[in-house]
Amino acid sequence: MNLKLNIRLFVTVGLIVLLAGAIAVAGCTDTMQKPGAVPLVQKQSIKVSGSTTVLPIAQKAAEAYMATHPNADIQISGGGSGVGIQQSGEKTVDIGMSSRDLKATENTKYPNLVKHIVAKDGIALVVNPKNEIRGIQAATVADIYTGKITLWTQVPGAHVPDTNNQIVVIGRDSASGTREFFDTHANGILKGTPPTKSMLEKNSNGAVAQTITQTPGAIGYVSIGFVTGDVKALPVWYNDSSAAVAPTRENVLSGAYPINRELFMFTNSQPSGLVADFIGFIRSPEGQKIVEEEGFVRIS
Amino acid sequence: MDLNNGTIEESGPLRTRRVPQIPISAQSRERKEKVIKTVWFLTALSAILAIFFILLFLLRDSLPIFQQAGIVQFLVGTTWYPTGSPPEYGIFVLIVGTVLVTLGAMVFAVPLSIGCAIYISELAPLWAKNLLKPAIELLAGIPSVVYGFFGLIVLTDVIRTTFDIPTGETWLAGSILLGIMALPTIISISEDAISMVPREYKEGSLAIGATRWQTISQVLIPSALSGITAAVILGFGRAIGETMAVLMVTGNAAIIPDPIWNILSPVRTLTGTLGIEMGEVAVGSDHYAALFGIAVILLAITLIINTVAVVILNNLRERQMGSAPTRITILQNLIARLRRPLVICGLFLVVIAIIMIAPLSIALPTLVVLGAAYCVKDRLSPHTAEQVAFCFITAAVIIVVLILVVLLQDIIIHGLPALSWEFLTQSPKDLGRAGGIFPAIVGSLYLVFGAILFALPLGVGAAIYLIEYTTESTVTRIIRTTVDLLNGTPSIVFGLFGLAFLVYFLNFGVSLIAGQITLGLMVLPTIIRATEESLKNIPQSLREGSLALGATRWQTIYRVVLPPAIPGIMTGTILSIGRAAGETAPIMFTAVVFSQRYLPSSLTDPVMALPYHLYILATNVPGSSTNKYGTALVLLLLVIGIYAVAIVMRSHFQKKMRG
Repeated sequence: MNLKLNIRLFVTVGLIVLLAGAIAVAGCTDTMQKPGAVPLVQKQSIKVSGSTTVLPIAQKAAEAYMATHPNADIQISGGGSGVGIQQSGEKTVDIGMSSRDLKATENTKYPNLVKHIVAKDGIALVVNPKNEIRGIQAATVADIYTGKITLWTQVPGAHVPDTNNQIVVIGRDSASGTREFFDTHANGILKGTPPTKSMLEKNSNGAVAQTITQTPGAIGYVSIGFVTGDVKALPVWYNDSSAAVAPTRENVLSGAYPINRELFMFTNSQPSGLVADFIGFIRSPEGQKIVEEEGFVRIS
Repeated sequence: MDLNNGTIEESGPLRTRRVPQIPISAQSRERKEKVIKTVWFLTALSAILAIFFILLFLLRDSLPIFQQAGIVQFLVGTTWYPTGSPPEYGIFVLIVGTVLVTLGAMVFAVPLSIGCAIYISELAPLWAKNLLKPAIELLAGIPSVVYGFFGLIVLTDVIRTTFDIPTGETWLAGSILLGIMALPTIISISEDAISMVPREYKEGSLAIGATRWQTISQVLIPSALSGITAAVILGFGRAIGETMAVLMVTGNAAIIPDPIWNILSPVRTLTGTLGIEMGEVAVGSDHYAALFGIAVILLAITLIINTVAVVILNNLRERQMGSAPTRITILQNLIARLRRPLVICGLFLVVIAIIMIAPLSIALPTLVVLGAAYCVKDRLSPHTAEQVAFCFITAAVIIVVLILVVLLQDIIIHGLPALSWEFLTQSPKDLGRAGGIFPAIVGSLYLVFGAILFALPLGVGAAIYLIEYTTESTVTRIIRTTVDLLNGTPSIVFGLFGLAFLVYFLNFGVSLIAGQITLGLMVLPTIIRATEESLKNIPQSLREGSLALGATRWQTIYRVVLPPAIPGIMTGTILSIGRAAGETAPIMFTAVVFSQRYLPSSLTDPVMALPYHLYILATNVPGSSTNKYGTALVLLLLVIGIYAVAIVMRSHFQKKMRG
């Protein structure tokens, strides 16, 4: 009898807890949506996924957009450029973010994709702030990434105090748009040569920056939007006579910084409704201000 | 014994109520019984279906790469360079990485685990036992992403500065983390094996004047050897399928360490490759197929390992029952014969490892001391030998406890300042650097409860069918085997299956329901096992009594068998909830988004989840220090809280059953 009673007690208590939890959750949802809500308009939600480079722009823009449009719900997830293009092509998301243009195979598979340029970007070479290096030649970077140079002492001006000066080469994973640009694009660094196999691979810009802040001897490449005080971005020059150009917004906008590219959002056919409005918002002066706040470069 | 009274009293009124109907509805009653039986049979098939679909979809999506590159080339190719032209998909280097990291983990975990197991089963006073067992279960309950987080922030930094190497993201870091994660599995199964040795052996040995250590080392350990072997193999299996922790600390460079024993080299494992590349890859490409190929290989490896362990454990159980003695002696002979070469090999590896890691000035003295120890070992008096051995065992226990303490105190000390009402009730802002984690907490709860809602009926039904409706037959054996297989499947493989089947094939998209089903499949075997165990513990006489009174099978199950079994089932379920709440790999491709403003309003919406949020904060968002520790702490508290409920409940009912 006792045991049975106990079980009943357990079940009842469990149910009460569940119920209370559900009410609490429901209550909180209410308070979450309340501020400034216009009750009669239907809630609208769109999904955005893709490149981790474009993600902070979309995220911040979405936050700003939703602040003035209380019924819009913009869900943003990463994944990478390949995912963004695939999912917008398959219509599983409304907007696909990409840090690269469509490849030939993608173009034939998803002919309906419409390209929207949302920002310009430079890829900055970054090292740990402890490294005394002031600038680097593009050819040296290529040598580092192909494994020909393995010590900072072989790089002019570079020195990492309190270490054995070994270079830790950090790159992105094989599916990344940033890596593809760096490895193969004409404006990139490696121009088709495969990088050294001992390169540590990270799956996002943030992860590269994170590792560099933790590793004194590291070098990596991130989109300039991810250059923060925790890492040192290196000016780059091409040959001995030219001056080093810093990866700044002005230099990307003017084209003086060589490793630059455009960032895209893709939609399946011409966008309408909330999707069109949101992309329009990002491309508007207000949206482009967010682009600049995030460290990227405005379209024009 | 009030148990008996209660149930019989209950079934009394039931019988009187139903008796008049029997003649009228005997046929319909029979039909109802048949329907019920069929339903349970179908739930029992769910495990088989799950394995079938997992295999089907993994093979289907990996087929292009096997056709194109050929399975041999895929396995032995040494270059993994999917973006090259032409792209190269050779996973040999990844297999080597996986094996190395896992072996390293075993070198670290096996001595510690066996020391702990000996201590708990033979030496510990009751209070220490009562303290250690929950502590080790706690170690098992900590989510793998929390281990990875700790490894990334603390361990890699310690390794980098200690060995003065450029980066701490190494094979060594991966092995230590995996070793810690394999500890609970090895400890608990070895401890079971040691305590299953018949008392007479121990008493006999002590009676002829052997010391306690002689008894342990010459009698208990050899008798428990096959159980301990199985424990190590299961730990190995668990470590090989682990994703998040390894991915976060091994550096993921697809190279074979040079030289091969250089434990300070970065490596890349099969699971790590899936974890970092799967989300980015273009669906349907060769690269995508190659990743599914990796999942197939990974599944094959873990299945082989787990099957070996299960076979050994079953043999052990049979021997306990007194049957099948011959096979075991052959096995023991084999082990005995292999012991010497194995010990020599092991020693050789240890020596090399010491020389490699430490500078010569430290390595030589260490080796001299070890050599001296080996020489005097046999000349020590039994009493001194015992003291030395117990010192080592105590050291092992202290190390394990210290690991737990260091890990918890680091997360608690750094995480507490982040905890506030706002942190728990607000949405994240500025990529999670500011704001709170409310949607992630709710998302995790949704995922977990959905998973349990999915898995509980299937699991309980399957167990009822296996225990109550059938005797051992080919069908039940197949079902049991598939449950074992499902149990050994790495969580990242569930994630890939969820992606291929639920997200793409059924077109659910990245959604709550896809995550719930994936997690549900993952915890299904745990629930089936727990239910089976608690049903087995119900005395057969109760069933016979009920059936003899004229109750149908279903009435017996529903009224007599299930009620006392509920505590056991609930404990198993709560443990599954804890496990599901901490998992990252199964949901990261199927259910979660980086950030979201509203809570999900339907099952097709994606959600945020605590483990994934922690993973993103730890690896992708520099400068989120407070919030990531806060997230880690909340996740830890959530999971540990769930486990604590289960543990308390279990001990409560165990006491009740005994008293």
